[in-house]
Parts: sequence; C-alpha cells; structure tokens
Amino acid sequence: MKNSIKILTAATVVAMSFFAGCKKDEDDVADPSTTNTAEVMTTVKLTFTDSAGVAPTVTAQYRDPDGDGGNSAVQFDVINLLANKTYFATVVIKDETKNPVVTISDEIADESNDHLFFYTPTNVNVAVTLTDQDSNTPPLPLGLNTKWKTQSASSGTVRLVLRHQPGVKDGTYAPGETDIDLIFNTTIN
Amino acid sequence: MLMKKAILLFFIGIVSGTVIRAQCTFSLVGKVIDHHDRDPLEFAEIYIPELKRGALTDSLGNYIIAGLCNGNYTITCRHMGCEDISMPITINGNTLQNFYPEHHLQELGLVNVVLDKAPEKTTQSSYVMRGRELDETRGRTLGDALKNITGVSAMQTGSGISKPVIHGLHSNRILILNNGIRQEGQQWGSEHAPEIDPFIATNLTVVKGANSVRYGPDAMAGVILVEPAKLRDSAGIDGELNLVGNSNGRAGSISGILEQNLKRISPLSWRLQGTIKKSGTVSAPRYFLKNTSSEEYNFSGTLGWTKKNYGTEIFYSQFNTSIGILSAAHIGNVSDLLDAIARTEPLEKGEFTYDIQRPNQHIEHELFKMKSYLYTGDAGKLNMVYARQYNIRSEYDKEQPLSDSLAGLNRPELQLEITSHSADVFWEHTSIKRFTGTFGVSGLTQTNTFEGRYFIPNYRNYTGGIYWIERWTWEKLQLEAGIRYDYRHLQVFKFENNVLVSPVYEYRNVSGTFGAIYRLTDNLNANINIGTAWRPPAVNELYSDGIHHGTATYEIGNKSLKPEQAVNTTFSLQYNKKEKWNVEVSPYYNAISNFIYLQPEMPPTVTIHGAFPTFRYTQVNAAFTGIDAQVNYYIVPQLMLTGKASILRASNKTTGDYLIQMPADKLQGELTYNFKSFDKIKDSYITVSGIFVNKQFRVPPNADYALPPSAYTLLNFEMGTKLYLGKQPVTIGLGGTNLLNTSYRDYMNRLRYYADEMGRNITLRVKIPIND
Repeated sequence: MKNSIKILTAATVVAMSFFAGCKKDEDDVADPSTTNTAEVMTTVKLTFTDSAGVAPTVTAQYRDPDGDGGNSAVQFDVINLLANKTYFATVVIKDETKNPVVTISDEIADESNDHLFFYTPTNVNVAVTLTDQDSNTPPLPLGLNTKWKTQSASSGTVRLVLRHQPGVKDGTYAPGETDIDLIFNTTIN
Repeated sequence: MLMKKAILLFFIGIVSGTVIRAQCTFSLVGKVIDHHDRDPLEFAEIYIPELKRGALTDSLGNYIIAGLCNGNYTITCRHMGCEDISMPITINGNTLQNFYPEHHLQELGLVNVVLDKAPEKTTQSSYVMRGRELDETRGRTLGDALKNITGVSAMQTGSGISKPVIHGLHSNRILILNNGIRQEGQQWGSEHAPEIDPFIATNLTVVKGANSVRYGPDAMAGVILVEPAKLRDSAGIDGELNLVGNSNGRAGSISGILEQNLKRISPLSWRLQGTIKKSGTVSAPRYFLKNTSSEEYNFSGTLGWTKKNYGTEIFYSQFNTSIGILSAAHIGNVSDLLDAIARTEPLEKGEFTYDIQRPNQHIEHELFKMKSYLYTGDAGKLNMVYARQYNIRSEYDKEQPLSDSLAGLNRPELQLEITSHSADVFWEHTSIKRFTGTFGVSGLTQTNTFEGRYFIPNYRNYTGGIYWIERWTWEKLQLEAGIRYDYRHLQVFKFENNVLVSPVYEYRNVSGTFGAIYRLTDNLNANINIGTAWRPPAVNELYSDGIHHGTATYEIGNKSLKPEQAVNTTFSLQYNKKEKWNVEVSPYYNAISNFIYLQPEMPPTVTIHGAFPTFRYTQVNAAFTGIDAQVNYYIVPQLMLTGKASILRASNKTTGDYLIQMPADKLQGELTYNFKSFDKIKDSYITVSGIFVNKQFRVPPNADYALPPSAYTLLNFEMGTKLYLGKQPVTIGLGGTNLLNTSYRDYMNRLRYYADEMGRNITLRVKIPIND
C-alpha cells in the first residue's frame, strides 16, 4: 500500500515537472507586446492644391495613431475650400502604429486593381471626379488622385470610402468590403 | 462488499468442492459488464431456467449463484436496455462466467437509460447519448451532435463551427469535461467552438442544471461529459473503424480505435485513437457557401496500469482543425452589413473546392492527463488527476496585409495561446450508514497571451476550490447535498498609453447544492435539484475594446464587473412503462444576478472604417424559465412515436426586456420502426423525423440590425442495420437532413445576416468492429 502511494506520487511529480519545463508562452504573459504586428490604418490625409496655383494648399486629416480601440481619434479636420476653384487632391493613408511609419497608400497604388475610392458630397457644392486609373484592361478608375470643382459657398459633408475588391473589382461599389469610411465636414467659403 | 463475499465463496467452494465432490455445493460467479463502455451493470438478471434459479448483480456488476451441482445447463443474462444473452454452460466445480451485454437503447426508448443511470449520478435532469443514437451523429461536430437533446441547441458560425447551448446559456456558462478534464480552450466568441473530437466518446452526457459544487465555477446551466470507454480489463485486442461520408460538402471522416490488454503483463492496457476529416465547400439550396471547406485531424493515446488496489492512466490527445469562414460574412463596417442583410443572396458564391482560403481559423488543442487512484482500505478510493492543456488559435482575416513584406509572412491577424495546468485530488468514501460522499480539492493555473490585433489582454489566473458532497440513499429516496468554496486570482497585463498596467482581481465564492430523487412508483420517478453557481467575469468582458467584425458592433469591456451568481432549480418527472410509454418532463428556473451582457449605448463609436454602434458589458438580473419534454409511445412494440419540445423564456429583469440571442421554441416528432432481426441481419430500423423551429419573437428592441429569421420546418431520416459478413459484423447507417432542400436561416447562427443554412445532406456511415 505505502509503496503504491510512493509510485503514484512520484509519477505525478515527474509528469508535472516535465510540463512545467516546457513553458512556451507562459513566461511572456507579464511582458505583452506593445505593437500590433498586423496592419492598421490609422491616418488619412487629403492634400488639395489649386489647379491655377493661386489659392493656398489645403490639408485635412483623420488621425487615430493607436488604431481602433484605445484612444479615439486625435484629429478629424474640416475640409475648408474656396468657392469656384478647381483643386487637385491626393490622398495618403498611413499606419502610424509601426516604426518607421508605413505608407499604405503606396501599397494601394501597387495593388490598384483591387481598390476603388468613392467621394460623396452631401449639401456642399462640390463635384469630385477620379483622375487616375488602375492597370486593368480596359482600365477602371482608382481614386488616389481626384479633381474637386467647387461652386458657391456652402457647408456639408464629403464621405470618403475605400473599397477593397480583390479579384472582383468591376468599377461599381457593391463587390468587396469597406476598408475606410470617413465623413469629413466640408465648408466652401 | 459482495465482491469480497463472492471471492470468499469462490474459494470456500474450491476447497469444499475438492473434498466432497458429489454434493451440490458449487457456485457460479461472475461479472456483468457493458460491452461498450465497460461499466459494471447493476440489476442484471442471471437465470438458469432448468433449475429455476437466478441472481441479480450488485452495484459492481457481480453475481453469485450458489449450491449448484455439476452438469450442463442453459444460462441467460438479462439487463434493461441490453440484448438478452442465452448460452449453454457446464458447471464443473466452481465456475466463472462473465457477460458483456450490448446496449440497445432504441428498443426500449431513451428515457429508460436516464432512469437507469440518474439515481447513481445526479439529481439534475440528465441525458446520455450512446449506442445507435451516438452512431447517428458520427462525423458531426460536438455542438451539432448534441442539438437533438431537449433543452440543448447549437450556436453556429456557418455550418462548420457549432457550440452547444444548454437552456439558453453557452461558452463560459456551461462546462465541458473532456475525458474528465475541464476543457480550457478559447471560448470568447460565438466562433470559438469546443476543441474536442467527438469520436473519442462512447457516451455523451448532458447534465442540465447548475453544477458548480462538483466542478467549480462556470457550470451555471449545465455540464457536458465526453466520456471514452474504460480501458480493456481482460486480455485481448480489439478495435473499431468508422467511415462517414456526406453528400453536402463531399465530406469524409475516418476514425479508428485500437486497444489491447496484455496477457503477459495483465495490469497493462493501451488504446490508440485517431480521426481525419475533410470537407469541401458546403452548399445552401440555391448556391454554394463560398469558403466553407474545413479539415481536421485528431489523435489520442491512453496507457493504463490497473492493479487491485491502485491504478494509473496516462492520456494524451491532440485536436487540430482549419476551418474556412464564409467569405460573404466578412464586412468592413455597418453599411457593408446593411447591404448584406438587404441582399437575398450573398454576392460572392463561388464553386466547389476543398481549398481553404481567407478568412479562416486554425486551432490546435493538446491535452495531457494523468489520473491515479488508490483504494484506501475499505474506507474509500483516493483519486488524483493532473492535466495540462495547451491551446493555440490563429485567426486569418479575409484581407492579407497590403504591405508585401507583411503579406509574405502570412501571419494570422490574431493569435491567442492559452496554457492551463490543473490538479484535482478527491476521496470517495464507501457507504457509511447509507451515506456515500466525495471530498475534494482542485486547483488551476492558466496563462493567456495574444499576438496581432488586440482582442483580449494577456493574463494569468489561479483558481482553487474545496468541496464536499454527501449522498444519502434509503429505499425509494435519495438525497444529495454539497458545499464548495472557490478562490480566483486574476492578473491582467496590458499596455495603456504605452504604460504597462497589471491590475489584480480577486474573487471568492461559496456555492451549495441540494437535490433529491424519489421513486414514487416502479414506473414513476421524480428529481429535484436546487443549486447555486457562480462565474467570475471573463477577461473579454472586463477588457474588450474594439470592433467585433462578425456583428459590426464596437464592444467595450467594463473593469468593475462583479461575478455572476445563479440559483438554478430543476425538476424532472419520468414515467416509464416498459414497451409502452417513456415520458420525461423537466421544467426549470434559473435566476442569475449580475448577469453580464452587451447593452447598446449612445453615441456610436467613430473609427477609420466608419461609425459602429457601441455596446458595453453591463450587469443585470436575468431569469431563464423553461421546460424540456420528451415522450416515447410504442404504437406496437416495433413502432415508436417520439415527441420532443424545448421551450425557453429568457428575460432581463432589470430593464423588463427579453434577452438577445436566445434559442426559439423547438418541437420535434419522430417515427421509428424496428425490423425483426434475422440470422445475418440485425437491429434494422428506420426513423423519419420532422423538426419545427419557431421564429424568435422575444427579442429586445434596438439591439440587432435584422429581425430574427422566420420559423422553419425540416424533414430528416435515419436508417441502419447490422450485417454479419461471416462472423464479421458491419453496421451501416444512412441518414438525410433537410430532405426537402428548404432554404432557411436560423436565429442562433451568427451568419444568418449573410447566407442561408446548408441544404440537403445525405450521410452514409459504416462501422466495423475489429475482433469484436
């Protein structure tokens, strides 16, 4: 009887120590990683330059440097444009959680066949047209580069949507899913 | 006790037999053991018709018929729910004869099994699935296999991921014991299914009701026991091969078991078991459900050393699966979701393939267990169990990172690793003045880490408990009472604004249970159980902070949550008239205070992907009232009609609303015909069944994007037979679900927004016992 207790106890201790030895993640628990290794879109920056070279250059940004969750966005600018002008606009998208910061819009330009931007003004007198195209045959619009034609003074919103449509892009909105969806308050003076 | 007597008599018999040979003083002794799970069978009747002499087995399955003369006789063994065994026997001195009858549930209805089993085990309503009924579920996931039991439903993510739900509660609110070990995997969301291979089990038991005293925190609504058969205890080798094929998804499973008890080293037994499953794209009635392929491979090994006074068993298992997630279900924001709901069919349909694309998940679960027991004299049995579980879950989003360098790594966007060590020591004492009982302590340590997208923080937790349960049995009455104390220490490690924070949470709790079983008449049994249960808040409820992509909601944890407390009352009435009626009716009431749930909140949360409705974890008082009922009626002995009903009303007492995501009322009707057995064809049957699931009308306002789907009715069938090819038996089963190819959606499926459920599926099953 006593012998059997010894055998069982010894076997249990051996088994427990064996597994206490192969800890894998157990030591890392108190030392969580600070960065998300996955790709995070944190920043959208629009830059407007007057086609006539007269009006000053305008920028408008959305920035949430720690990504979704945690702190909310630190910057969400109003787009302030002058009336009756034609602006050329470019959009830059960044991942500011990485060091160095990753410019995701460069990757979008490389994968233009999988992406499509939409700009939808509401209550504001501006017409937005896409000026760049992807490398499909026939080419389809992309939207990293746009032309904004303003009219009379007004204020409202412009909604910027980036659709990710890998393998299914056909120039329409429906296929794929939404990567970015921001509603910028917009004023034309 | 009787065992000892039997052995004593046996030896007395041998001695006396050698001295006075001519007299009728010999004994026939032996054991009656279940063929499949090797449990000893109590109340089996052993009978020698020529002598009109018989005996019943005791609780250890032993019997003895004394005072026999040498000679040739017939002997029969009869046990409720088993095939009768009749065979010639020669008494030549004291003789040993064991019986291994096979259970045949269907012939006497399933409730008998509950009646048969329940008094030994639990005062809650419970249901054991085995034999033919278990065979019919082979090839399915655990959640899917259990959903035919009243009071049990499945919470699904598409067709491949299925979690069991008992009386409206799931995940951390029910407990799964895999081969006696608390399953400690990842079960934060509806897409996190139990990491268990059901082929391991010869019994699947669902105990409905609170069970915290025996098993610790979490068991608020019930316990699921996945139990393999006991190892072989007699020399020999045997096994079983299962083959399952499905028409929908062109899926196949193969699972095998091989086990042996060594003749030369009789205490040593071993078993090896393995399963491989593969499924291609599943289809709804009108279209393919793109990216629903899956694959799985699992294996386990058991090594046992059994001596008269002590024994030890080592078990290791591995579960590995990769599951594609319906492409159409991946959305970027609320407007994508609203567009998907507005469409009658998903935009992406695709074709048949076995390839698994993004989005998908890959899960591995490892279990090592060592169990030892020791008989402490006549007083009882001491058990020691140690287990280690390791779980890694990798979730791959639909999109690869745009950056080529990141994409090249093909890393999961989210990876969670959880490691748990648990130890249980408990002592079961033998009957003292009608009392039997168990006293035990248990401990668990657990660490969880994540990589990639933030979902839950790293944490470490220590849980310890001490409990004592006593049971008193007197003729028709059995009473049971127990008490338990638990302590949990949880420490979270996370960065907040680049500063490492590591708050500690401590929880203490006392739980109790009281239950009774009363045998009113030979045919009528009543059970009642009142139990308390508790559950400390899970780490996702404390610390979630982000978009839940499946439901397009922004979920925020609440660091000040208190533990949930449940008082669960179950009552069960069982009426059983052999080959005529089997009826079980079980009403229940589960009151949970500090019930944790997600409450919608204003304003919506703005992110770069758009604005998401905000949901915050909140505590309210909740009540779950319901009734489970099952009736079997034999129209003629071979034709059985079955009716089942599961009805639940779940309410939020604090706000006066209903609770979200609760199973709708379900009714089932079945008609089974058992054919007569012939020489080479046995146990043939056919079952036709209809399932009606009502629309869930009882939902809280403004908490969901889409109304619950409509009610639906499905038609299914099952048939099976056991053929003897020479001496080799082969069990063949053919089944079909959704025979009318009905297009429908189920409220408990998270992907109901996006696509219909699976269409018609025909399943062929072959079971080949080896060396049976």
